[in-house]
Amino acid sequence: MPGFSGGGVGGGVGGPVSAPPRPFRPSRYVPVSAATFFLVGSTTLFFCFTCPWLSEYFSSVIPVYIAVIFLFTLANFCMATFMDPGVFPRAEEDEDKEDDFRAPLYKTVEIKGIQVRMKWCSTCRFYRPPRCSHCSVCDNCVEDFDHHCPWVNNCIGRRNYRYFFLFLLSLTTHIMDVFGFGLVYVLHHRQQPDTPHAAVTMAVMCVAGLFFVPVAGLTGFHIVLVARGRTTNEQVTGKFRGGVNPFTNGCLRNISYVLCSSQAPRYMGRLRSPPSVEIQPPFLRPPLSEAQLEAKVLDNGIQNDRHSARSKSSLDQMESQSADAEPPPPPKPELRYPGLPRADTEESSLLTDAPPTPSMYKYRPAFNSPGRNHTALTHPNKMIRGESLDSPSSSILQSSRQPSYRSEPSSLDGATVVGGGVGVRRGAGERGEGPGGPGGTTGGVSGGMSGYSLTGRSYTSYPSSLILSTGGSHSSSLRSAHTAHNPLATLQSEGTTDTSYKSLANQTPRNGSLSYDSLLTPSESPEFESAAHELSPQKPHAPFPFATRTGQPEVGSPSAPLQGYMSPFLSAQIAQQREGQLLQGSATFSSPHRAYLRAVSPPPASSAGPHETQILLLHNHDSSTRGPRIPSSLSSSPGARSLEPPVSPPPRGLSLGKSLTYSGEAGPQHKPRPAGGGTVLGGGGAGGGQQAPQ
Amino acid sequence: MAETHSLQDMRQQAAVAAKVFIQRDYTNGTVCQFQTKFPSELETRLDKQQFEETVRTLNNLYAEAEKLGSQSYIEGCLACLTAYTVFLCMETHYEKVLKKITKYIQEQNDKIYAPRGLLLTDPIERGLRVVSCTSVSVLAGIYSFLSSLSHVSTGTWILSQTLSSCVDRGHHLRRQKPD
Repeated sequence: MPGFSGGGVGGGVGGPVSAPPRPFRPSRYVPVSAATFFLVGSTTLFFCFTCPWLSEYFSSVIPVYIAVIFLFTLANFCMATFMDPGVFPRAEEDEDKEDDFRAPLYKTVEIKGIQVRMKWCSTCRFYRPPRCSHCSVCDNCVEDFDHHCPWVNNCIGRRNYRYFFLFLLSLTTHIMDVFGFGLVYVLHHRQQPDTPHAAVTMAVMCVAGLFFVPVAGLTGFHIVLVARGRTTNEQVTGKFRGGVNPFTNGCLRNISYVLCSSQAPRYMGRLRSPPSVEIQPPFLRPPLSEAQLEAKVLDNGIQNDRHSARSKSSLDQMESQSADAEPPPPPKPELRYPGLPRADTEESSLLTDAPPTPSMYKYRPAFNSPGRNHTALTHPNKMIRGESLDSPSSSILQSSRQPSYRSEPSSLDGATVVGGGVGVRRGAGERGEGPGGPGGTTGGVSGGMSGYSLTGRSYTSYPSSLILSTGGSHSSSLRSAHTAHNPLATLQSEGTTDTSYKSLANQTPRNGSLSYDSLLTPSESPEFESAAHELSPQKPHAPFPFATRTGQPEVGSPSAPLQGYMSPFLSAQIAQQREGQLLQGSATFSSPHRAYLRAVSPPPASSAGPHETQILLLHNHDSSTRGPRIPSSLSSSPGARSLEPPVSPPPRGLSLGKSLTYSGEAGPQHKPRPAGGGTVLGGGGAGGGQQAPQ
Repeated sequence: MAETHSLQDMRQQAAVAAKVFIQRDYTNGTVCQFQTKFPSELETRLDKQQFEETVRTLNNLYAEAEKLGSQSYIEGCLACLTAYTVFLCMETHYEKVLKKITKYIQEQNDKIYAPRGLLLTDPIERGLRVVSCTSVSVLAGIYSFLSSLSHVSTGTWILSQTLSSCVDRGHHLRRQKPD
């Protein structure tokens, strides 16, 4: 199973670069094992105990029919589980060279007249095609990403969506059949309820009845999705809530596309044709300077360091040029620790030792074992790179800090005031993203949801007021620091240069070792939207408290932020996923709060107190006090989409922000950034703050 | 090993193959299409018409692969009926067209691009995201020759080492024999 799902290890002969081998995590297999067990076990019992009587009492067609449906269900289940969902191979080095550290984090394309943003994936090293999203569980970009299904332990994407959909349909039918015929049996054997056959039949009926509700709900939900031509990702993140879906071709065509199109090809594991002309591996970058070579200490840090080294030199240039153009970004730590004194010397600090790096907040302290505290500010790269614990040189760190510091959420694209500094920064040709992006997205904002990121996340641009309040000139965020900076930036009230450089984004830890724990820590996945999105379907912890708390479909509640489900189908799915999460690990049970906190954002442990409390308040059903926004979110109508996903580069792994966004969004969709949540959550709150009022 | 190292240096020093990437054209959604815009880097090396013709043909081929026609429909039904075991023996419509595309690209390379020192790669290798057009230089050809030489030489070295170790072992045994 693991070998098939996601991008296992390696490809075919001379295949493209694939993800590094991921550690074996048995907890991932619990839901799929449970699903298999229940499906096969119950049906076997049904065949053994109920079908003999049915065949002789009615006709033998019945067991045959049930067997056919069961086999169809099983076949679709296996296909959904084992089929490659459409994983993109990692881009090779040569593709990246044109997109250097100044390249934008987002690229905008127009699809049928609608501006769609393609986000730079720092793991896979390319701009994600529309509808593609990076699954943090599988650590792969998946084409037409729908969601990561824990029940099949696989992503559902372009290639296997059909099988997943048919699996749902056939499973619903199968459950109904088993329940119905079991009921017939039981009713006929009312007088002898104590026979083993009757008892087993009743047990099977119970199991069937239990699973029927979530499965049927999910089936209905997906029927609606197929008819509307949307993916779960798009639906959950509310991408097309106010706008037009450019990917739909009408109900009938959407359905026929899902069911009748030819099987999409697999991208991984392909045999590469030997080039007719021998060309050396495309490492045709300009030779690195000695300093840059020295910086290549760590595996994961290779590109990071190189980028940071490059960015250092360019940044120095930029700093000198842009110092006048815009105020330097405020120190990021403030976002997280409101109590902390702001670094006054921002102007000077940019080029000096330690403006706190926004990237530090991208990643959870827990993720980077070495002291994640303010002292760690001097080693931002540590944070940036996740597992790379040692930065080779502080100078490089500082330099890399600078760009990361400047990276801003793409949400700011909408109102990016492309200052001179920003313009300067946009050295390479991709500048179009900068002015074009903001322009487009700004228009989108006003138009309402028209601008949405292509990365499976609907991010509406920030309200210009928000951006202007930050006072920053937010150029289109560059790839490098696209992660946590964004939410942080939104929280900052002073001007921030938000340029997320791709190089900084590339520094995000891509260790591929994504367990549920790592899922809980949004920091590890720089792409917030992927983390948040992928986290939401699977996240065991957050919904769990709500699951236990109420059966209500308040997916509008903070747990919902992970899912954003508001419709009954969504709630059914939530319930289903909650069930899955219930199975998923004791860790979930043991520390839902902690898990939630981790998932939300990485508040440094040292100052976790108030933030965590706030987070707990917001998301922990057990807590007596609830954030002010919770009730509103809960009271929001089921129809309301729970979240307005943060527009700009989602706060890295700040599902907290996301959850805040969700919770905040539940009611009025265009809620301005909640002040309370924003301050409390610091960086995480930045995400929350990023509610994109239309 | 020293040879490869020097080759790498040479590789870096030589201003070799620029790579031009022809990106996907998403104006019609997620249909597989590539941009027909002629990249400026190729202006001196290639005729615009030919390039556009190549890309247009590729786009047509991909459109044919993704077409919701009777063949794909029949394929889907057959797959359902056989519990998808038919995929073990039969090639899907898309794969067939992909083979056609690979052949077409090879043919274009041979006829048009290689004579101009260019090489198109099959986009399927990169997940249908880009078509890369590599400019092949003479130096690159030399590199490949030299690198192959280095491979041969290292292979020979390894072989010699192995043989010598065997010989040594043989000597050792012979020395031990008389007891």
